[in-house]
Amino acid sequence: MNARHPVAVISGDILDEAAQWLVVMNDEPVSDNDRRAWLAWRARSPEHEGAWQRAERLLAQLGEAPAALAMPALDRPAKSRRAALAKLAALCIAAPGGLAAWRLAQSEGWTADYRSAAGELRQITLADGSRVRLNTHSAIDLRFDASQRLVVLRSGEIFIETATDPAGARRPFRVQTAEGIFEALGTRFNVRQQSGETQLAVLEGAVRATPRRDGADARVIQAGEQTVLQAGVVEPARALDPAITAWTHGMLLADDMRLADVIDELARYRSGILRCSSEIAGLRVSGTFPVGNPQQALAMLEATYPVQIASRFGGYWTTVLPRPH
Amino acid sequence: MSRMSAIRAMTANTSEHQQQVHALYRDHHGWLQQWLRRRLGNGSDAADLAHDTFTRILASRLPALLNEPRAYVTTVAHGILVNWYQRRDLERAYQEALAALPEDLAPSPEHQLIILQTLLEIDAMLSALPAPVRRAFLLSQVEGMKYEDIAVRLDVSLITVKRYMARAFRQCLACME
Repeated sequence: MNARHPVAVISGDILDEAAQWLVVMNDEPVSDNDRRAWLAWRARSPEHEGAWQRAERLLAQLGEAPAALAMPALDRPAKSRRAALAKLAALCIAAPGGLAAWRLAQSEGWTADYRSAAGELRQITLADGSRVRLNTHSAIDLRFDASQRLVVLRSGEIFIETATDPAGARRPFRVQTAEGIFEALGTRFNVRQQSGETQLAVLEGAVRATPRRDGADARVIQAGEQTVLQAGVVEPARALDPAITAWTHGMLLADDMRLADVIDELARYRSGILRCSSEIAGLRVSGTFPVGNPQQALAMLEATYPVQIASRFGGYWTTVLPRPH
Repeated sequence: MSRMSAIRAMTANTSEHQQQVHALYRDHHGWLQQWLRRRLGNGSDAADLAHDTFTRILASRLPALLNEPRAYVTTVAHGILVNWYQRRDLERAYQEALAALPEDLAPSPEHQLIILQTLLEIDAMLSALPAPVRRAFLLSQVEGMKYEDIAVRLDVSLITVKRYMARAFRQCLACME
């Protein structure tokens, strides 16, 4: 199964169904039954999920168009369009990646050993007594054997408190991500899989970070340090930002953060789409926001900053816009 | 056919295809540019569109034997031309709408371009739809109107509005491959 990449070719029948679901989900209020049936439909196969991801790209594109400009431009008299409609049907163009920059990782983790849903924080005690906390929307596999204790982080973010190996064998405790391997040297640490990079933060002890690329240099990150592993390189350690592990207490700490980054963070904790219009992406935001209640966090932003929250699809599709003067 | 043999077949066809397009270009580019120039009334747009026409042909699957190469080139060019007119109309309508906005609500120049690009793409996706379907879709997705209100506005039943919406969504999804 290839859940990591969108399915390229989707059958016409499934696109028909996706279009029907778009009609249903767009008709507020959406009943709980419809919502459940829609989730079940998406979960039927990667192809179904792929069809819905395409639907979301479409919604993102439509959401880019402010009504005051889009309506006069798109709803102009049909005269100029009438001439060669049939021919033009063949001229469809694909949505560019830039307009659909957000990624929906919901298809990942279907077959993982442990996963957390959007907005869910989970704690798991492993066979060796080590504890793993899963942040929202995360998935891990456990591969414990005679030679190592391996946690494969498939998506999202985990916080780890290692225990001494009771087997007496002193098997190393490792976390593997797309970019590298992180070996605990008696420790508490946080690993986050992001698009194309892994972020590591060490609170106690030390962690050896080794890129997956052959011949790349490993680096030991000490308590109170953090780093990023990307493109086969472990960046030099920086001082630990305590905001990184605020999630383990259910909080998002923003200290002079870009609004777009705050929104991206909050978006991890809810299902559906949450985006911020490009005009206000750079607005500086400070505050402490409850990640367990993204709606409240958004209301706090609305109350404090010159922004307004626009929701469609029963809140499924939410955009943060500049507040009109 | 396996994927590898399909790729080999395509590679074998490529040079043949290029030669065919090259011959078309040699024989027909001159008059095509004249033909476009008469319609557009300006030479530089005509040159651009003639170029676009052959780019489109190069990217397409040519019939093995072109009995009427001139008719074929004209057909492709006509599609390009219509597309160009549509684009120009949309840009005009967009510029007028921008000019009508209060100054403090106008997006930055950079953002204006992004919006225009988005509108052109949406327009292309919706272009094959009948007018009422397109209208219902825009009222819903751009204006944010509810289906009931769209039914009243267009004087059709609620069922019809939903059918319009499904058709428009389906068309857009098909365009996004």
